[in-house]
Formats: sequence, C-alpha cells, structure tokens
Amino acid sequence: MKRSTVATTGSDGRSRTSDQNLAIIQIRNCLLVSIQTELHDQLALDLQESLMERVRSADARGVILDVSAVEVIDSYITRILNDIGKSVRFMGAECYIVGIRPAVAMTLIEMGVELDSVNTALNLDLALERLELFQ
Amino acid sequence: MRTVEDAVGAVLSGAISAITQRSIFNRLGGLARTPVGQLGPVERQTVLKELESSLRLFARGSSAELLAACERALTEGTGGSSGGSGATAGTPGSSSPSAGGATPAKGIHKTFAVEQEKDIATARLEAWSEAVRIGLSKFTAVKVATAVSELARNIVFYAGKGTVELRATEDDRGPSLHIVARDKGPGIEPRKLEEIWAGTYKSQRGMGKGLLAVKKLVTDFHLDTGAGKGTTVTCVFRGDR
Repeated sequence: MKRSTVATTGSDGRSRTSDQNLAIIQIRNCLLVSIQTELHDQLALDLQESLMERVRSADARGVILDVSAVEVIDSYITRILNDIGKSVRFMGAECYIVGIRPAVAMTLIEMGVELDSVNTALNLDLALERLELFQ
Repeated sequence: MRTVEDAVGAVLSGAISAITQRSIFNRLGGLARTPVGQLGPVERQTVLKELESSLRLFARGSSAELLAACERALTEGTGGSSGGSGATAGTPGSSSPSAGGATPAKGIHKTFAVEQEKDIATARLEAWSEAVRIGLSKFTAVKVATAVSELARNIVFYAGKGTVELRATEDDRGPSLHIVARDKGPGIEPRKLEEIWAGTYKSQRGMGKGLLAVKKLVTDFHLDTGAGKGTTVTCVFRGDR
C-alpha cells in the first residue's frame, strides 16, 4: 500500500502540498497512527478508509490513534475521531485514542462535546496493555 | 519582506534536509510566514522553542550552535535595518505613534482572511499566540484556539469565505481577547438556530455543535445573523485575574 507522499519543496522553499497521507504502523495485531498534522476532510476520509482495509487485511484487534501532538481538537475533529471509532468497532476491532492533552480534555468537557465512540488511554503503552487483554 | 522561514531556512540549509525543514515550518504554521521585523518577543520565543526541539532531533551537527545562529537571524531584522514600517509593538524602544492608549502593547488588532482549510490552522495558531502574549492562561489559550477553529471552520464550510478578527484589550479586571468572525454567507435560518441552541442540530460535515460549543467556552457571546446579511459572531475571552 503506498502511503505517505511527502511534500516537495520548490526552489524558493515555499510550495506547500497538503496531500500528505498518514502512515499506518502495524505492531503485532494492532494498528497505530500518529496524527501530527491538521486533520482535514480528505485526509480524515482517506485515513478512515485505509484503516478499515488494514483492519481487515491484518486481522487487527485494535486501532490506536495517537493525538499527543494535536494541540487543538474542535467539534469537527471530534466527529472524525468518533466516526473512525464507530467504523473500526463495526468491524470488530477496538479503537483507542491516546495522548489527549489536559487542556484539550478540559476544553472538550466545557464545550459539551463527547468522545463516546472510542476508548481512551493515557498513552500508547497503556493502550497496548489494554488491547493485550483481548488477545 | 524577509520571513521567519527565509531567515531560519538560510541558517538551516546544509545542516538539515529540505524535507525536515518543511515539516518544521509546517509546525510553525502562520509564524513561518511572518516577516522577521514583525515578530513579537513571545512569538520569537515560540519559534525558537519549536526549533530547539526539532533541532535536537534532526540536526547533524551541534544543535546549540544552530539554534544560536537561528536566534541571531531572527533578532537581526528587528533592529531597524529592514525597517518594519508600523510593525506591531514588538520592540519596547520604538513605540509607534498610533492612537496611544494607556497600555499600547495590548492594543493589538489583527484580521485574517479565512477561505480554505489551511486558513483555519493559521487563524487558530495566531489566536493561540495572541492569547499567550496578552497573558491569558495556557488552558485559556487552548480554549481560544479551539473557539477560533470552530468559527473559522464554520466560515469555510458554510459561507465559503470571511474574516476572523482578533483584538486585545486590558482593563482593571485583566486582559481580554475579542474575537469577531464575520462572513457574508447565507446566514442561519431562525428554525435552524433554534435547533443549534437546543443541541439537536446535525450538520452533514461536522457535528452541528460548533456554535453551541463556542458559546459555552467564552465569557461573552453575541451572534448576528440573517438571510442576506451573513453571519457575525462576536465573543470575548477574559483573563482570570
């Protein structure tokens, strides 16, 4: 599967391509995605689609999305995360969001936005530990 | 005008690959495109902090030396050689002869055009650094950035284009940041608005909770909308002091 097209730099060092894909890493029977960039419409849809495919081809039990580099999560991104969680759950795997920052969590609570279609864990290690229970 | 990207890029070329540089500048967002002369002290600190962690990971040589060179490159332009005409109140010595309030450093007023998804990220980052700069708490800065993100997203999704305006003020109760999101889009129908405030509205692309979320986050909230006149959201974040 060809993932991760890298942005090319023009001679003036100024060109900006937004069509980066997110790399999906497999650890045992678990898929890991580290979200480091802005999750926009197309990227999120692509991610959802390729994750579903990979869950199937890799017989994955779990999907972990690391958002520790994401400094702001608004209601739109919450919806994307929930959608991914739902679709992964439909396929019989568990989805974990790890590394939500304290300020982000506080903000989500104040906004009254729910992350109810995914599991959460403090960090990658704990998510892996919990997923191990399902093996 | 020499931007942060130009200045830092010149120092880093040779020490760091172009691709890595690109990802560093992407992380800096709007700050990378800011002219060096207009960089405020806190913004410069933000840039350097970001560079420090990136250089520690990626630099082939001594990261401390490179960082020092970057710092020099970012301070040079501010002295007066490249003349940041009417720049923001960055350097304390050169107070611009603007309408002088009691606290000139707080009288910042910025407007951003919002049209594409990448503008959302820019507006968000600017709002964040502005919030930190005027002394709002770290948590409040995240709330500010989130609210701006919601408002800018609404503009891009539903109106196509518009502006986000940031204005900092200070009174005896502390600093506050005013945000005005303005568009000339279709406006929100009264019936839809009722659903939005009741929390029952579902949109196609988002959660339908953006406006309600912003209202819950801010100290003051005002919405002016209607068919033909577009939508204007005004809100205020107040520092807790």
